[in-house]
Amino acid sequence: MSSEREAALAGEPVPTMASDAEPWIIQPKTGTLGEKLRELWRYRYLWWYFAAENLKSQYRKTTLGWFWMLMRIASTVGLSSIVFGGVLAAPSDGPPYFLFFVAGTATWTLFERSLLFVTRSLERNRKLVTKVYFPRMILPLAATGTGIAFFVITLVVMVGAIGYFRWTRGVWYVVFGPRLIVALLAAVAALFMAVSVGLWTSVLQLRWRDVRQSLRYAMPFWFYLTPIIYPMSHIPEKYHWFVRLNPMSSIVEAFKWGTIGTGSLHPQSLVISSFVMTAVFLGGVWFFSRAEAQSIDKL
Amino acid sequence: MISLKVSDLSKVYRIPKPQPPATSAGEPGRLRSALTLAPIRRYAREALTSDNIQDLWALRDVSFEVEPGSVLGLIGPNGAGKSTLLKVISRIVEPTTGMVSGRGRVVSLLELGAGFDEDASARENIYLNAAMYGIPRSVVDRRFDEIIAFAGIENFVDTNLQYFSSGMYLRLAFSVAINMEPNILLADEILAVGDATFQEQCLQKVAEAGKQGLTVVFVSHDMDAVARICSRVIWLKNGSVHRDGDGEEVVSEYQQTSWEVARQTNKFGFKGSHVNRYGEIVEVRLVTSDGREIGAAPTYEDVSIRIRFKTHNAKVRARCAIDLFTKGVHVLRSTQAVLWPVTSEAVYEAFVRIPKHLLSETKYTVDVTVLLIRGEGEEHALVMNKALAFMTYGAADERGKLRKTGVIAPTFEWTIDKQADVVRA
Repeated sequence: MSSEREAALAGEPVPTMASDAEPWIIQPKTGTLGEKLRELWRYRYLWWYFAAENLKSQYRKTTLGWFWMLMRIASTVGLSSIVFGGVLAAPSDGPPYFLFFVAGTATWTLFERSLLFVTRSLERNRKLVTKVYFPRMILPLAATGTGIAFFVITLVVMVGAIGYFRWTRGVWYVVFGPRLIVALLAAVAALFMAVSVGLWTSVLQLRWRDVRQSLRYAMPFWFYLTPIIYPMSHIPEKYHWFVRLNPMSSIVEAFKWGTIGTGSLHPQSLVISSFVMTAVFLGGVWFFSRAEAQSIDKL
Repeated sequence: MISLKVSDLSKVYRIPKPQPPATSAGEPGRLRSALTLAPIRRYAREALTSDNIQDLWALRDVSFEVEPGSVLGLIGPNGAGKSTLLKVISRIVEPTTGMVSGRGRVVSLLELGAGFDEDASARENIYLNAAMYGIPRSVVDRRFDEIIAFAGIENFVDTNLQYFSSGMYLRLAFSVAINMEPNILLADEILAVGDATFQEQCLQKVAEAGKQGLTVVFVSHDMDAVARICSRVIWLKNGSVHRDGDGEEVVSEYQQTSWEVARQTNKFGFKGSHVNRYGEIVEVRLVTSDGREIGAAPTYEDVSIRIRFKTHNAKVRARCAIDLFTKGVHVLRSTQAVLWPVTSEAVYEAFVRIPKHLLSETKYTVDVTVLLIRGEGEEHALVMNKALAFMTYGAADERGKLRKTGVIAPTFEWTIDKQADVVRA
């Protein structure tokens, strides 16, 4: 018998166990929110890995990966601006329609792309989830990475457009100053919104693959219900309360207000949106933690 | 001090009851039901009621305590709850009731290579794997060279894993896990893969780590390995602890029972028949020297393999051969020396006697070949792969530290003499 073993039996600390032998307990349904957050932090490196992996998997084996992402956004934005702004002559409340549309889709793209990937995040990694333990919430959180990448590219397109209009028309269609912070907050809120909804859909998607299908069809409706292709000012006043129930309206409006300066911040609408988002998020965290264990049993 | 404590642990899986097929209306019916609300109604029923759900107890009131430095073996038939237990301890699966408590870092090897990314280099994968175990980068930095050295991939550190051979892959996976400075290591059937050398290295490493105060929980179907490295063994049966005690004792009891069951259910010794137009192998059995059928072979007695074959053609000669395998090694081939002239279409029995004190204490599989030779050397082979699997066991007095290991363990002639008295000054 080795000396370490003897030491252990005698109740003395064993050399290898001395430094980090923290006691732990596993029980059904334990863990406070604080503990969960601490654990997420400990596993933060995984966020980068899963985010990068998710992004890379989109354009794996392509030589022009980033270029395709840029094309995807540029073509959608370009085409939509021609159709809505040019052919249908949709109003833009001031700035060129192209810029108005890019600013409107930026946060929407961030939300939509993120939500679609978040929804699939658990399903895509279900093999891993049954073999290795890590906080599952990392997966939906990391799946926002692709949405963020699309957002960054949209910003690049937007900056390019601003530069172009400055050069051709000599006008800065951007508000420099503290308003940009509002735009940044709006982007963070879009991400938060994607995660909040995604906490529900990713778990449901594990059992019913229909979730993602139906989501893909629901998103265009949501898109048109959000003031992106049209300004809020063109909706009759009496329907404003309805549009404001949709947190994405406030987010999109706030982003546009913070960058190109159209529209206005509506305090009442921001309060409603924050309330709705917080409710969806807290519900999502509760649902995710509750259903996580059960869903993994069923994999 | 206790390293790992499992108290009254139960795990219930709620699984849908097998449903009789709803309608046998065929394709049109199926299409109709897909277009109506039937699937939605079914989902709703599943979600809201428990009529169609049955409880499956994967674990039921399991309790035990493990001291640091012990190597605990978990054995039992498939579905006994071994893997579920490891999954609960490693937090992958949440327990239904009960509690597990422990001290220090838990690293689980439920599947070698789980969580590896083929598109990344070995270096990146080492850090990724560590991140999945929630292990700080500083630990990896400290252990990096050792990980590479044990895996034997010094020249491939920055090569993508997709170019790795499966052997290198497994080596790396095991090396990462064992070098994460765990306090508790959970290993599920890691010896089912890889070549014999690798398996041996892993076993030694596990045993070594145990000596340094690491607690190891080891699941395996390889009883040889379990008996060798586990100081204590828990035998799980239907989710409960059936036996808990000294490694050797529990293993030998388990082996006896399981071979008894195997013999009764007649699973071994008959695995289909291989046929051609000249004949067929009907049955292969293990028998004692007086012809009694047995399921496991004592190493201290002669045993025979009986090959029963049928010929469909009277003008052939037969020659039989057996190939013996264990641990992935082709141990030997024994071929019948004389050709047997077949005089009529009939059933024949060939016996090959395996002498005592030759086989090791392990599990062997046997491939059988019957060559039917027509005219001048026109050969037609009947082959039955894995025709027979049997376990061998030694006499009680042969057990202990010097058990028979290796692919064969012949008892050669030994002599011992006294040379001179020791003269004390």
